[in-house]
Amino acid sequence: MAARLSLNAISKSYGAGDSRVTALTEITLSLHEGEFFAIQGSSGSGKSTLLNICGLIDHPSNGDLHLNDIAITQLNEQQRCMHRRKSIGFIFQHHQLIPAMTVYENIAYPLLLNNKPSRQVRHEVEQLLTKLNLTHRRKHLPRQLSGGEQQRVGIARALIKRPQLIIADEPSASLDHQHADAGLQLMRELNQTFAASFLIASHDPLVIAHCDRKLTLLDGHMDGHIDSHS
Amino acid sequence: MNWPLIAVRNILRDGTRVISTLLIIAVGLTALLLGSGFMLSTYDSLQEIGMRTEGHVIIIDDIPEPLLGGSHQQLTLNNWQSIQASLWDDERVLRVLPRARFEGIISKGSRNAVFFGSGVDPHEEFRVHGPFLRTNGVLDPWIATSETQDVVLGVQLARTLNAIKGDLLTLQIAGNSGEISQTPVRLAGTYQSGTPETDNHTLMISLTTTATLLGTDNISQLSIYLNRHQDASAMQASLQENLNNVIVQTWQQRAELYHKVKSLYDRIFGVMGLIILVVVFLAITNTISLAIYQRRKEIATFSALGTKPARIYANFILEALLIGITASMLGMLLAYGTSHAINLSELMMPAPPGKSEGYPIFIYISWSHYLLTSLLLIAIVVSASLLATYNTTKINIATALS
Ligand SMILES: Nc1ncnc2c1ncn2[C@@H]1O[C@H](COP(=O)(O)OP(=O)(O)O)[C@@H](O)[C@H]1O
Ligand SMILES: [Mg+2]
Repeated sequence: MAARLSLNAISKSYGAGDSRVTALTEITLSLHEGEFFAIQGSSGSGKSTLLNICGLIDHPSNGDLHLNDIAITQLNEQQRCMHRRKSIGFIFQHHQLIPAMTVYENIAYPLLLNNKPSRQVRHEVEQLLTKLNLTHRRKHLPRQLSGGEQQRVGIARALIKRPQLIIADEPSASLDHQHADAGLQLMRELNQTFAASFLIASHDPLVIAHCDRKLTLLDGHMDGHIDSHS
Repeated sequence: MNWPLIAVRNILRDGTRVISTLLIIAVGLTALLLGSGFMLSTYDSLQEIGMRTEGHVIIIDDIPEPLLGGSHQQLTLNNWQSIQASLWDDERVLRVLPRARFEGIISKGSRNAVFFGSGVDPHEEFRVHGPFLRTNGVLDPWIATSETQDVVLGVQLARTLNAIKGDLLTLQIAGNSGEISQTPVRLAGTYQSGTPETDNHTLMISLTTTATLLGTDNISQLSIYLNRHQDASAMQASLQENLNNVIVQTWQQRAELYHKVKSLYDRIFGVMGLIILVVVFLAITNTISLAIYQRRKEIATFSALGTKPARIYANFILEALLIGITASMLGMLLAYGTSHAINLSELMMPAPPGKSEGYPIFIYISWSHYLLTSLLLIAIVVSASLLATYNTTKINIATALS
């Protein structure tokens, strides 16, 4: 299988001098097409930092990053923006829905950004709303939703454009068991149908059980080898 | 995506802050509109005074000014009657008034005073000054009805002489050849302009009397009053070209008071306006910066999803425009209402430089002026917004989202 994403000795530190904090040290891994990859580790171990770098919203201090064999560290912000638009879907830990957009608009936005025709957009958004049991919330604003509903909208927004890479930071944190399952089901479906790769930070055993491989972070270091499920 | 609707939702979401921003802009705009409306009306009435006092176009003899003055009577314009007659056919012309300036001493009993007199057309003179020269007791038309000539005095000059209507006064005038003549005149009434020089020292008599007294029917100037003051420049140019040995001027070249007051007020209101603009800019920059900084997660989310910065800027500009336009409407409405209230209440202003009387405050309402000032404020809101958006988009996406 070809590498969707490969990290070579990625390090990240914040600040300088005495207040310098090293969040990641020499992380090397590759994520294959269609792979479900979990990142474990206690709070503060560097999971979010690693995900942000892989999602092209943060810069590593050192090391190389390739997305579909393109050297990301060489790109300018405008090019990175276009890669995020086309190829990457985010499921944020704190949902980060656009407050002034309705559920429908939040989910449709990534498709509109990619200039999809409005008929296709309508069809696909409705389909996803049904699958995530959000149809009745279509016209609501994010603040009118429960935490779990917001997270489901966040998942829908990340998946709708069928990106090659999905970055998910603790996606099931605010979901109850049943909805977490529905969310995972959707991710799996996308994963199997379109060979989308997932990079998921999670403590949730349910999520981890779904993953092909996992990496444990300990204070920004890789703790042991990358494990594979058999 | 329906961006205008989203902008409206964002504005409504931030209710109290938006209201305070709206009020700052609206009140600032009201202050600017009231100040400039007052300034414009002041300029206008000064222009009006200038035009009414001197005429729109003025013809004088082309003897160089330094030769005049002293105790000589300034009567140098001859054959003015033919110029006057030729102007009557001109459709643009309303009136052509001759004025003969002379000076002397006026006395009543033991009291006397130096005066600057004008020989004028008694039928027409008091019809051109409007509210800027108010007469008291002067008959219309004001003509000598008896052997004794009628004189009309500036109100303060009459007071200096302790003279009332009907009193007999004596004019002492040096004629062209230097001899002093004494003439009895009767006080026919007074006038009041609010300008101390005029009210304290001037008088008017009929031009025919002047001619008899001074032994010449020359005059000092011919004042041409037009139907439309806009025709003054064209009129001046054509007259200057067609007439020989005279200087033709427009009212503007002689309106000293207008130019003095205008340059003073321009500076006062310019500084005031600038201060208001700066205060508004600082006040809203602060609020807007904070509001946009607090939306850094939203901006970062847009970026993370692959939105180009131009789109993000456009969204915030749209919001700023909506706020700016709403605030401008509010400010214009407020200014409009206040202006009307002030105009109706006839509040008085203190006397401007060169005047002894205050005048009622009048505030102009000009829609083009309202529009321009509003656009200026809207531009300020948009720039404040752009600045804040620029600063916020510079924050690292991951940092903003954490
Ligand atoms: N913007 C930042 N500035 C300074 N330190 C940071 C910043 N973001 C994260 N860190 C530090 O980096 C380390 C890793 O953080 P993070 O990646 O958020 O961990 P996790 O997601 O596993 O909880 C922590 O010690 C955290 O304090
Ligand atoms: Mg984290």
